[in-house]
Amino acid sequence: MTSSKRFNRRRFLATTAAASAITLTPPFIRSARAAGALSVGFWDHWVPGANDTLTKICNEWAAKEKVDIKIDYITSQGNKNILTIVAEAQAKSGHDILQFPAWDASTHAKNLAPVDDVMNTAIKKNGSAPAVVEYLGKVDGHWIGVAATTGSQLKGPCGRIDLLKKYAGLDIVKMYPGAGGKPDTALQDQWTWEAFLAAAEKCHKGGNPFGLALGQTSDSVDWVGALFHAFGAQLVDAKGNITIKSDAVKQVLEYAQRLVKVLPPDVFAWDDASNNKYLISGQGSLIMNPPSAWAVAKRDNIKVAEQCWTFPSPKGVKGRYAPGQPYFWGTWKWSKNIPAAKSLLAHLSERASIERLVAASGGYDIPGFSGLRDFKTWAEEGPPKGTVYNYPPRADQIVSIAGAPAPVGIANQIYNQATMTKMIAKCTQGGESIDKAIGWGASELEGFMRV
Amino acid sequence: MANATAINAGMPVTRRRMTMKKFVRRKSTIAFVMALPLILLIALLVVYPALFSMYLATLNKSMEHFVGFGNFEFLFKRDTFWMVVKQSCIFAISAVFFKALIGFFVAHFVHAIPAKGQRKWRGMLLVPWVIPPAMSTLGWFWLFDPTYSAFNWIFVRIGIDPVNWLGDPMWARFSVILVNIWYGAPFFLIMYLAALKSVPEQLFEAASIDGANWWQKIWYITLPMMRNIISITVLFSLIVTFANFDIVRILTNGGPVDQTHVFATWAFNLGIQSSDIPLGASVSLFMLPILAIAAIFILRGVNQRGNEA
Amino acid sequence: MTTATATTGQTRPVRQASMQRSRRWALIWSYVFLVMFAVFFLMPPIYMFITSLKSSGEVAAITNPWWVFHPTLENYAALLGSSTFMTFFRNSAVVALIVVVVTMLISIPAAFALSRMKFWGSATLATGVFLTYLVPDTLLFIPMFKIFAFVHEYTGIELINHWWALIIIYPTLTVPFATWILIAYFASIPKELDEAALIDGAGYLQMLTMIFIPVALPGIIAATIFAFTVAWSQFLYPLAFTTSADQLVLPVGIVTTLIKGDVYNWGQIMTGALLGAAPPLIIYAFLMDYYIAGLTAGATKG
Repeated sequence: MTSSKRFNRRRFLATTAAASAITLTPPFIRSARAAGALSVGFWDHWVPGANDTLTKICNEWAAKEKVDIKIDYITSQGNKNILTIVAEAQAKSGHDILQFPAWDASTHAKNLAPVDDVMNTAIKKNGSAPAVVEYLGKVDGHWIGVAATTGSQLKGPCGRIDLLKKYAGLDIVKMYPGAGGKPDTALQDQWTWEAFLAAAEKCHKGGNPFGLALGQTSDSVDWVGALFHAFGAQLVDAKGNITIKSDAVKQVLEYAQRLVKVLPPDVFAWDDASNNKYLISGQGSLIMNPPSAWAVAKRDNIKVAEQCWTFPSPKGVKGRYAPGQPYFWGTWKWSKNIPAAKSLLAHLSERASIERLVAASGGYDIPGFSGLRDFKTWAEEGPPKGTVYNYPPRADQIVSIAGAPAPVGIANQIYNQATMTKMIAKCTQGGESIDKAIGWGASELEGFMRV
Repeated sequence: MANATAINAGMPVTRRRMTMKKFVRRKSTIAFVMALPLILLIALLVVYPALFSMYLATLNKSMEHFVGFGNFEFLFKRDTFWMVVKQSCIFAISAVFFKALIGFFVAHFVHAIPAKGQRKWRGMLLVPWVIPPAMSTLGWFWLFDPTYSAFNWIFVRIGIDPVNWLGDPMWARFSVILVNIWYGAPFFLIMYLAALKSVPEQLFEAASIDGANWWQKIWYITLPMMRNIISITVLFSLIVTFANFDIVRILTNGGPVDQTHVFATWAFNLGIQSSDIPLGASVSLFMLPILAIAAIFILRGVNQRGNEA
Repeated sequence: MTTATATTGQTRPVRQASMQRSRRWALIWSYVFLVMFAVFFLMPPIYMFITSLKSSGEVAAITNPWWVFHPTLENYAALLGSSTFMTFFRNSAVVALIVVVVTMLISIPAAFALSRMKFWGSATLATGVFLTYLVPDTLLFIPMFKIFAFVHEYTGIELINHWWALIIIYPTLTVPFATWILIAYFASIPKELDEAALIDGAGYLQMLTMIFIPVALPGIIAATIFAFTVAWSQFLYPLAFTTSADQLVLPVGIVTTLIKGDVYNWGQIMTGALLGAAPPLIIYAFLMDYYIAGLTAGATKG
């Protein structure tokens, strides 16, 4: 009875919205939720149409399981999604399932229901989850979130084929070809951070510098985190000790000083959209970003889009680190329908569902399971065809997140306070010495130790 | 009146009972009832949450233990906190100063032109204050954009280097203050214009005859007559500007290396993004006692002058 | 004697002429500065308008940003035709109107009471009412979450993620200043009117409705416009308290739906921002004189 009342109300709202009439729905007084109702809040995908596919998948599941599902798409603009998470954690009510950006599942672990059963089954079917997914999603030995497909992204290099060849003599298509091509392992071995710097210098001389964000948003923090990892520079180790005063940190800052000289001077103000705009306008020869920039270029500046190619990050002393940002789906402990929630999450972790989601996002979404790296979407998307073939992490790439392997409470702050990029800013734009920047970083880290 | 009739009737005053009816009819009761919704609104939705926030500010990060002033001790040791304090003060004080200054001088200009033109100019100049600040800040954000800035486009064409509006620490602070001035000056303008109109013309004419120049007229006539309105507008604007969130949040989100953070944005960053609600509450609360004391002094001054008048 | 008058007779025309000349200079300088400031104040909205006429391709290409080469109304069509956007508009309108009514219902009686009658604490309340602005909204919304959750638990009424929650919160922003304007305005109404009414046997409620409100209408209109503008412009509170697309109000709706991930659609964003600014601007254009007169009633008290 309650479900039909809810269904009618939803239809009522939908028709009134369409008619744009001024109607008022009275305060909704809800009695206890009937079994078989589920309220879900997903991340609002920027790719047009991607949300619709997710809605369809959920509705198919809901029809099969006879669950009354209500879906909201919550944007990350203005940190709205985090605000919602905090609000619901405080109010101990709200949606049943929410989508948690990288750090927020572990932050709210004590309010989330364990989902070991769902994740373990999914891992068995889809392959293991990368270490970073476990780092962010497993607390005290329990999975508190399911690796989400939508929103999980990688921020590796996206370069201009023509400009990189012209200025730096770098043939990225030869190095990392599309589907069916033979990867040139020799060239790949030479794709180190030093080679990266050399290419950056040449492109700067040619008038189209690399556009590497050094602000405080995730576009900046993610790639800098991968850089630090590649040098083996850890700010805080896995046990929680501050290890910032190390040679590796000094070395990576020295590298950064050399790199900043060949970047545009305003990169310190860049937010998440700036590098996109920089590439789309035709000025940039390389940015570190998921394929969203290329997708918009397809719409606004096709000449630039046809020359875009996404390929893996350079290799450092400690390995080839791919800047990752996994998302999670979690269900609150106080949800009144945890079985239904888990059933939905299991359905969304099926290979078939994941494949549809990846296709709908144009290849932007990276599934959180290592066995799912071979979808057709990545091979086919273009122009140019194969532009995102090398986007999902394969072979020798280690997906990581800035701040790892520190304990998540501390790493979270290193990430959100953009300590690494700020340190770089201090010893470059800020004109301070590397030691002073490290000293400042150390005092910041001491503050993060707060419980 | 009841008093009068009672005494006239020879009845002792003490025998006059306060009946329920009389109580309800009393002027002060009616007044209280009329003001009751206001009092309830403020008590329930402002005072109570504020007290609750103060309680939150005394908890530890995971909100499980009581730490008293521990959060403030922690904040006082952090350099970033003092930088935010300094930045908030620079932001609020310089923005309010320029808003008042611009409002004051432009009011004079509007006052100087013939009356029928004034309405048109007044209307045009108030526009920034009427547009929702979140919307107009988006417009400014677009004007300052690193790649597409319309200002830089002009600068490049006339030979000046493009300005890093939001990326250079000094320019970022300038931009944030500029947008706040743009938004708030019109408010000062119309307040001061109205106050200016109420200053008697004869005073100025007498001063002219005595040979006063424009600066002396302002210093000796206009400013003293407008002291109250200046105090109140400055106070109001200081309070609101110190709490400003939208402009900094949309333009720089704290800016290059935290150099444009103000209390509200940094509190939001700490409380929501870094999941440390008690610390965020502590930051938000920091200015409260200081502003409250300033407010009490200024309002007392205004009241006293009002009583003298 | 005659020399004295002769000299004064001579100087007066000269002084008048120089005073006229200096007045003319003052006028010219005034216009110069007014034009400068008008440019400063009006330039951003005009620029927003220019951008709103551009297609996203023209925006991305770095042509002259101050001119539209291929003006198009596609952004306006897209937004005005989108049911989501119209929902935002409707929500904003409903919330703003209800908040205005609520604000007036609270402020008018309170201002009347505080300006005319005394009770214990009324003087402090009158001067201090706008000290409520001392409590910043970034501080208030976390306790409000808890309060709303509390209400939900005990009455089952859902407040979070519904637009009617905003009707409860917005008055904390509109009522203090509206009350303050009205107190100043009511205080300027001559007391003789009160006494005349009392002699005629009117009760306080009648005095309020029959006399004060009509006489103070400009002030009330000003307070109404102020409340409407504030309610319409809110960003942080709706951002915090509403999530679902059908509950959002315009400022939040524009920012969250037109800016997705790291993809900005500037033409549409500027269009949305202008459409979002339109209602306050239109109301202001028609009722400007009342607005300014009411706002400045307190200013003339000096």
